[in-house]
Amino acid sequence: TEWNVSVWGSRRAFTEHIHKIADLVSEKTGGEFTMNISYGGLSKNTENLDGISIGAFEMAQFCAGYHADKNRAITVLELPFIGVSTLEEEVAVSHAVYAHPAVAEEMAQWNARMLMTSPMPQYNIVGTGEPRDELAEFDGMRVRATGGLGKAFTAVGGVPTSVTSSEAYQAMQSGVVDTVAFAQHAHLSFGTINQADWWTANLNPGTVNCPVVVNIDAYESLPDDQRAALDESVDEAIAYYLENYGELLKRWDEVLEEKGVTKVMLSDEELAKFREVAGKPIHDAWLADMNAQGLPAQELYDLVFSTLEKARASN
Amino acid sequence: MTSIEIGLWVTGGLLVMVVLGMRVAFAAAFSGLVGLIWIFWSKKGYDPADFGWALTVAVKTAGQVPHGKVSSQALSLIPTFILIGYLAYYAGLTRALFEAAKRWIAWVPGGLAVSTVFATAGFAAVSGASVATAAVFARIAIPEMLKVGYDKRFAAGVVAAGGTLASLIPPSAILVIYAIIVEQDVGMLLLAGFIPGVFSALIYAILIIGLALTIKGFGPPVGGFTWRQRFESLPPALPIVAVVVIIIFFVYNPFGGDSWGTPTEGGAIGAFIVFLMALWRGMRLKELKDALIETAKLSVMIFTIIWGVLIYVRFLGFADLPSAFSDWITGLPYSPMLILVCILLAYAVLGMFMDAIGMLLLTLPVVYPAVMALNGGLFVSAEDATFGMSGPMCAVWFGILVVKMAEFCLITPPIGLNCFVVAGVRPELSVQDVFRGVTPFFVADGITIALLVAFPSIVLWLPSLAM
Amino acid sequence: MAGHASVLEDGSLLSRLDRVLARVEWGMALISGLGAFALMCLAVVSVTGRNLFNEPLRGYVDWIETAMPFIAIFGISYVQRAGGHIRMDIVVGALKGRALWAAEFITTFLVLLLMVLLVWGTWAHFDRSFDFSKPNWSRDSSIDIGLPIWPAKLVVPVAFSVICLRLVLQLWGYGRAIIFGLSEPVAVPLVMSAAEQALAEADQVQGHDT
Ligand code: NA
Ligand code: NA
Repeated sequence: TEWNVSVWGSRRAFTEHIHKIADLVSEKTGGEFTMNISYGGLSKNTENLDGISIGAFEMAQFCAGYHADKNRAITVLELPFIGVSTLEEEVAVSHAVYAHPAVAEEMAQWNARMLMTSPMPQYNIVGTGEPRDELAEFDGMRVRATGGLGKAFTAVGGVPTSVTSSEAYQAMQSGVVDTVAFAQHAHLSFGTINQADWWTANLNPGTVNCPVVVNIDAYESLPDDQRAALDESVDEAIAYYLENYGELLKRWDEVLEEKGVTKVMLSDEELAKFREVAGKPIHDAWLADMNAQGLPAQELYDLVFSTLEKARASN
Repeated sequence: MTSIEIGLWVTGGLLVMVVLGMRVAFAAAFSGLVGLIWIFWSKKGYDPADFGWALTVAVKTAGQVPHGKVSSQALSLIPTFILIGYLAYYAGLTRALFEAAKRWIAWVPGGLAVSTVFATAGFAAVSGASVATAAVFARIAIPEMLKVGYDKRFAAGVVAAGGTLASLIPPSAILVIYAIIVEQDVGMLLLAGFIPGVFSALIYAILIIGLALTIKGFGPPVGGFTWRQRFESLPPALPIVAVVVIIIFFVYNPFGGDSWGTPTEGGAIGAFIVFLMALWRGMRLKELKDALIETAKLSVMIFTIIWGVLIYVRFLGFADLPSAFSDWITGLPYSPMLILVCILLAYAVLGMFMDAIGMLLLTLPVVYPAVMALNGGLFVSAEDATFGMSGPMCAVWFGILVVKMAEFCLITPPIGLNCFVVAGVRPELSVQDVFRGVTPFFVADGITIALLVAFPSIVLWLPSLAM
Repeated sequence: MAGHASVLEDGSLLSRLDRVLARVEWGMALISGLGAFALMCLAVVSVTGRNLFNEPLRGYVDWIETAMPFIAIFGISYVQRAGGHIRMDIVVGALKGRALWAAEFITTFLVLLLMVLLVWGTWAHFDRSFDFSKPNWSRDSSIDIGLPIWPAKLVVPVAFSVICLRLVLQLWGYGRAIIFGLSEPVAVPLVMSAAEQALAEADQVQGHDT
């Protein structure tokens, strides 16, 4: 069996688990089951779910925030201030939500089955000019942030401004945006860190959720041993991803120092204020909106927090 | 059959269809679709029962491309640039530019020809289309040159060659197309086009002055303008300056501060200024409607090739042909510089027969990765690179080189479109006359290209400031 | 080689159908052009809003991406009628009479085949983003302000259906020319030499230069 895998950009920490799982399945099946990973050759990043639905390729990565209406159920994972603080917790929460029948059903409409997540740390912002360490200074701030994060910044007077990730660097340079919210690896690979004067170390407003899915028909037509090899390799691939991302995070402080970027810490009162205006109200609005659309919103929402508690207790 | 063999067969079929006169956009889309069906069917071992599945998947995959690929903020520069060009006619910018150039620089040997070159370069700053530039100046500049005794063939050659500058000096639709195909920053490429464009114009001017000094009675200087007349000629040409400044400042602020916005916004603001100028010069609803229809025609024509070729490119992605080709190129036992020169020569030959946009779109998906691989990869640093420049810089440099080649093709026989246009506008000139008159400019373009290859910093200096 | 071929007209049914469709196509092309104009206005609003009022246009990119299919694709049939899609005419330009019409018939037929398949493919692309049971009928939305994408996706199969009609008329025209051995058939773009084409293009520029 040879599978085509559609991802985008270039190889980076964000795609390492896919390379790892390809290696693992090939190894476990003695080269019987291989994966051909294509960066942008098979599809546009916002159309990877479409490609899976058509059956053009067998496996793909996408991000929920690119097209909320394609994947309403998992947008719960992109709500601001859920309180996820480590990549391990992010994995636990994501995989619990992926296993929920409402998510499986919505993905099945795209002929897709969730395989694993691509956990990312909290999307802290880098900015130009004077560091903004008080909420009042977020008023009128032009910020590149999508999905739930965009809503959070709106709640404190920020102005989400749409630019694609590859344009973020230039948007910052040109003053189209003052700040950009990314995970650390993306601040590095899209170069926004080179443009930054400061980085918020503890704002932790939330993150973006990017699952890896497989085409259901292709998955089901795998011989039993190959399917088992794929399923078994998920945990190992994720473990490798976490290790690799951990290395990157360890280097992060050096990077900041090297580029002369100030680390901004917001005071506890300021953070509490942010959570108050941008947490609960946005969660409530999400619940109302998704309930109205017939999704088991409360169930999904509660699942996030119960999983989070369990994940913390087990540590 | 391997996917690479399928890729080669389909590519061969595409070339046959193009030569036989099928519209390039549709030939590319057709080959891409057939290729996708072939690739998907081959995965199922050509089982007849699976043909329907392969057809469905291929058609749906191809069906994603037109909407998916044209819905791009970067590509929105193309209609904007085209609109600027059409509005500029109504704003009377062509005549104003020629008048100003004549009053200021026609006193040098070969003065009117030199003025024509600089006026076309100036007009290039509001026009994205070379052919239109040649057509307009054929009407304005040739009669004046004939009046003072120029050889009619040479007068025509100056206009045909000067017209080509529009693709290098931004705004340039063809630079945007290159940026999209190779997925590089549009702003960097536009910025990179300025100096080589002006440089080309200077080489043309030096060539003309040289000819005027050596050939007796070639092109007399035209003097006698007072300073007052000179300064009076400037205000009508000012919108050009405004557009140039805006586009530069929206990409990169030379004074070290923030740039003013994105290239997309810069292009649109430039168009808006020219639009206001055209309104002021008396453009009415009927003319606006004409300009919009013409903009639509040219935009749709270009975008049809874009999505058509991108269906073919999607197929190439599944066939993995570009990486096979770049492996082959990098494995050749010749020096990378020799290979690069051969690629440029191949473009010169291909361009004798093909339209510039079609040529670039058809070849770049395969040639570009190969050139980048020659240099050492997309992300190679300047120290480790074959050509001594980083990956992104090599992309910019190669882009300017191929666009300059595409311009060169506009004046080479047998299909040199600019020469046809000039001959079309001037009844007293045959196409052969224009080709004869433009010959000296082959030398100028050859020198320009050689210098751009030998001294990449001519191209890279401005973008490296903005990096 | 952007072409401006001439299309001859007479009182036949084919020619009348050609002119009816041509009016529709003209309207669609005008919408393409208005889209380009709107793009310009959008940028002016966005830049002034950002710089003067610190209030950039919400979803600027989303709006551009929605407008692009109208600009880039809606006028496709208008360009096809005039024979304006570029091609290499070295071989076709050398043909005359029935041989020419036969060559045109074959390539036009292949294009029709392609476009019919693409109507199917682009409709499927639209259909995946459309769901009557969902709010805004939307199953695909834009990144920043969540605009439904299906209207922009629907533009494509609509424009492609119109060009299919155009291609059928052109096949009819070429077919007549082959059967009756016509030298100047109606309702099809007549091949011009590159030089004639250039002249037509140049004509168009003239008069605009004030
Ligand atoms: Na230009
Ligand atoms: Na040529």
